[in-house]
Amino acid sequence: MSRRSGSALRGAILMAVSAALLLVWILPVLLSVLTSFKDEKEVLAYPPTVVFEATLKNYVAVLAGPSSIVPNLTSSLIIALATTILSIVIAVPAAYAIARLRLPGRQPLGFYVLATQLVPPIGLIIPYFLILNGIGWMDSYKGLVLIYITFSLPFAIWLMVSYFEDIPREMEEAALLDRASRWQAFWYVVLPQARGAIAVTVIFVFLNAWNEFLFAVILGGATVKPVTVAMYNYINTEQTQWAQLCAAALIAMLPVIVLGIVAQKHIVKGLTAGAVKGSGRR
Amino acid sequence: MVAPGLLVLVATTTFPLLYLLWQSLQNINLAMPGMDRYIGVGNYVRMWEDSRFWGALSYTGIYTGVTVVLQLVIGLGMAMLVLRIPRAQWAFRVAAILPLVLAPVVVGLFWRTLMLTPDFGIVDYASRSLGLGSHNWLGDPELARFSVIAIHTWQWTPFVFLYMLAALAALPEDLYEAAKIDRANAFRRFMHITLPLIRPAIVVVVILRMTVALAAFAAIYAATGGGPGTATEIVNLYAYRVSFAELSLGYGAAVAVVLLAITLAVAAVLFRIRRAT
Repeated sequence: MSRRSGSALRGAILMAVSAALLLVWILPVLLSVLTSFKDEKEVLAYPPTVVFEATLKNYVAVLAGPSSIVPNLTSSLIIALATTILSIVIAVPAAYAIARLRLPGRQPLGFYVLATQLVPPIGLIIPYFLILNGIGWMDSYKGLVLIYITFSLPFAIWLMVSYFEDIPREMEEAALLDRASRWQAFWYVVLPQARGAIAVTVIFVFLNAWNEFLFAVILGGATVKPVTVAMYNYINTEQTQWAQLCAAALIAMLPVIVLGIVAQKHIVKGLTAGAVKGSGRR
Repeated sequence: MVAPGLLVLVATTTFPLLYLLWQSLQNINLAMPGMDRYIGVGNYVRMWEDSRFWGALSYTGIYTGVTVVLQLVIGLGMAMLVLRIPRAQWAFRVAAILPLVLAPVVVGLFWRTLMLTPDFGIVDYASRSLGLGSHNWLGDPELARFSVIAIHTWQWTPFVFLYMLAALAALPEDLYEAAKIDRANAFRRFMHITLPLIRPAIVVVVILRMTVALAAFAAIYAATGGGPGTATEIVNLYAYRVSFAELSLGYGAAVAVVLLAITLAVAAVLFRIRRAT
């Protein structure tokens, strides 16, 4: 009897602790959702209110007001899409070659790609600042896409290498025996099998490009101002417009939250980007 | 097939890094254009004598070490907890996505406003309600150092949680049955069965988390900007402030070179450890 009540108590504590931990994870987002529907005066009420008269005016303001984030969303979309397309087109064949071909120096090659992925962004922003200034590419899409390639390309290569290593070789080997060229085998046999892997890679490359901030804040400007930088429209030295900031941030983060949930099962692999398999084996 | 990718990588990363190395040997100040000149290791000598650099370096060590340990302990603890409540697992899996996909700059801004603002933030409200009083979480130097560590830990612990959940779920059930029959208690089961089995997973997590912590920038930038004063200045932020606030690009480049060397050295050591396990 006492044992059973003991385990019931343990179960209750277990549930309480896990509920509290769950709350901590969602709290900032929960608060931002609440705040985004508040009047700016309501925001600074003490104690914080949970029940209040909801208003949509913050959303209207950040979408249609004078400091609308729509142009910034467009900028983010252009940069993220261009970065994703370029990275994937270059990364997929490269990853296939690293995973399959008996290239001379395959091991150092793998390490080189991995090392480029580890480069701290601050080490790239300083030379890029001077280079882009020199060639007049500051505050331009091509400039930002160029520097975004530095983190998205090695990431995409590594992620794709780990997927290619999981695809069995039999079918392409049969194709090669039938005198298909490497490119033919790659195009007609391997790529169709790698569709899912490419989709996942696309999602994560896009997500990382969308969320980037450091490169954008320094190399962007009035013309090219991604949405992460535009968050600062609602913050100035005199005051922070909390409610508008929250509405803008939630709109800006909606695409990545949706993508994250869509790619839920792959998120660990996406964030690990091949470091788990590839590098250790070779 | 690999050539285009390799060429692009060399052109976009290796070449700029060589240029960075060259810049670090120059005196480049954007406030004084036309005064650029080669000064050899001058910037490195200056760094050696720069107490602000050493301060940033030591805080980088604390920031990296503490956030990685916290993420590992909390993430592993939560994974073991959630493994025991299979019916609620989906809620944790979904909730874990949220911090992970948010842009770090948004995370920093949310914490700076909604969570930590004195009087209005929820953390301050909780602290007052518990009778611990109101605090200037990001304005007090000592407290700010803890706050930015808490922010980083909040954002990235879900990753460790998800990773460990997968690692733990893959462990063989029968080992535990045998241990139970042998009356090994929970602590002993953890120390002698679980821990050795998930060691490779722990090493991978530590490698990944360290490299991410060493490259952290946007969340601190948004929350404190490195301040108050230089309290939350990790090397990354120091290099940024030197280069783009003080416009001393040559010196900033030298600081960035040192950070680059540290990151690659740490990664190399960890990968060596990983091969040994």
